[in-house]
Amino acid sequence: MGEVHIGLPGPWAENCREKADHYTTKIGGLPDWPIPEPNIKRELLYCRVCDGRLCLVAQVYAPILSTKLNIEERAIYIFGCPNQDCGKNPDSWRAIRLQKGDQDSEPNLALSNTLPSEKESFPMDGASNWLKDTLLMNDSGKLNDGSVGDKKLDDLARAFSEASALSSCSKKQNRKKRNNSSTRARVGRTTAEETPVPVLPCFYIYFQTNQAHGSIDAVSSFYSSLTLKEDAYAATDTDEEEKWVGETYEYDKALGADTTYLKFKKQMDTYPEQCLRYSYGGIPLLATSNSMEPDKCIHCGSPLVYELQLFSPILYFLQQAANASVACSADGWSWITLIVYTCSRVCTSYLNS
Amino acid sequence: MAERGAGDRGGFGRGFGRGRGDRGRGDRGRGGRRGGRRDEEEKWVPVTKLGRLVKEGKITSLEQIYLHSLPVKEHQIVDTLLGGRLKDEVMKIMPVQKQTRAGQRTRFKAFVVVGDSDGHVGLGVKCAKEVATAIRGAIILAKLSVVPVRRGFWGNKIGKPHTVPCKVTGKCGSVTVRLVPAPRGAGIVAARVPKKVLQFAGIEDVYTSSRGSTKTLGNFVKATFDCLMKTYGFLTPDLWLETRFSKSPFQEYTDLLAKPTKTILIENTERIEA
Repeated sequence: MGEVHIGLPGPWAENCREKADHYTTKIGGLPDWPIPEPNIKRELLYCRVCDGRLCLVAQVYAPILSTKLNIEERAIYIFGCPNQDCGKNPDSWRAIRLQKGDQDSEPNLALSNTLPSEKESFPMDGASNWLKDTLLMNDSGKLNDGSVGDKKLDDLARAFSEASALSSCSKKQNRKKRNNSSTRARVGRTTAEETPVPVLPCFYIYFQTNQAHGSIDAVSSFYSSLTLKEDAYAATDTDEEEKWVGETYEYDKALGADTTYLKFKKQMDTYPEQCLRYSYGGIPLLATSNSMEPDKCIHCGSPLVYELQLFSPILYFLQQAANASVACSADGWSWITLIVYTCSRVCTSYLNS
Repeated sequence: MAERGAGDRGGFGRGFGRGRGDRGRGDRGRGGRRGGRRDEEEKWVPVTKLGRLVKEGKITSLEQIYLHSLPVKEHQIVDTLLGGRLKDEVMKIMPVQKQTRAGQRTRFKAFVVVGDSDGHVGLGVKCAKEVATAIRGAIILAKLSVVPVRRGFWGNKIGKPHTVPCKVTGKCGSVTVRLVPAPRGAGIVAARVPKKVLQFAGIEDVYTSSRGSTKTLGNFVKATFDCLMKTYGFLTPDLWLETRFSKSPFQEYTDLLAKPTKTILIENTERIEA
């Protein structure tokens, strides 16, 4: 439970609309639903603020393999709105959790507006239940931005500078229960899309388990710009009037950055390219000290547990790629980290439709 | 598109993190190196938006950052903008001790000053268990704290500014340091420790006066640094002209990206009418 997996960027997809399966962890591209796309409720895929189509930011294959709970078929999809103004609004972000339940039950077909574009044909392969849970943005999600009236800002003229600063969005989980008589996850190999869905440049993620913390000091050795002579410093300053007295331990502080942020940056520097950090039940890496505590799951009331977080190198890579391609761009976003909390009981209650 | 999904799923396990393992370990195609020894120095992946703008080259000088009071959260920003002109020096490493049940725990505190001797100076203080770690950490903190230093003239405004523009005073703990403008050729008239800071700042002539327990040299050097920070905070008659506000770099480049034609327009958005 305490193990931390670092998601590092892997190869780019040849085509940002190419298909993979729901076992893939990737950034951008099109979501690989294990169930037919029309079965997914339309509202989940559209922005709550501007009603534009959301684009997939990250798709993470996240099974839970503990002794008490064994859910192999579980994936989390994180969506964001490419509209320039929506990026700063916490409401425009959405995360959806899809998992397969253990027992079969009476299938309910969800009546969602079928999207005219995706007409993939998935062969029915037995009655498995895919339960979808939606993690919705909390309205009071913390986004350090002048337009939201963040308490840290003194004047609105600095809105944009602060928007780039510490913004952690915590998403709360909101479970919508739906039961689909949908397919087993055999994803079709269709490639063509009729109507253009906004899609970000796509690259895949590979994971590495976080090494021991002793390596942090080793990494800081890369920053050296002095040749060290340790013994030279120990015996200097023999002048009587220049004794440095009265010094005690001091926490790190710089003009623009406080201790919490510096610790965050130190962790980031161990893997400068890390895009994703997965640690079910672990501790999130916060960039500010005044982050919110997540509320309880609104469906079952059990406390939320930290699962994963995205980092801003994602934005950097997406912006680099967007210069070269025609896919939609991530330029409107400027967060440092995006934290996703999920229900600790992994509840699968049913919605009366 | 190949039949990736059907084939791969049977191939490897369903454990977390291995869903796309073999595909992920291919060549990243982004020019990076993986595994083994990581070359962190060249590879800077910016975390903040300001970092991204600096890396792309859209911001060319620190002054643009200072003009809009943007917090600098990555030391690589200062490295990129000031580059090789920035010099650093360790002023002191001293052990600080803490009494624990199992004896005394000693850590090392490093004081590092960085500067380009031309108007930018930074001071970093870092405590760590090893000397090397403390020095490196202090260099990074010093780069994060780089501030501009305003220089002026003592008398006739001939040549380049060489001294502080006015009398300024800074305080830290019980130590107060007062910098007084001096004529050319006076040199830096100060104790050894603050003299170093003033040299790194690019001040050529100044008189100083200090008060308080200057034996606590940590406070002494921080008071001098605080004093230098205040040089740009002092309103003098030549700053009486009303400010013409310009767009912050974020706004500028957001608008740039939003426009369909990528022409760069740097406008002054407001003009305060008298």
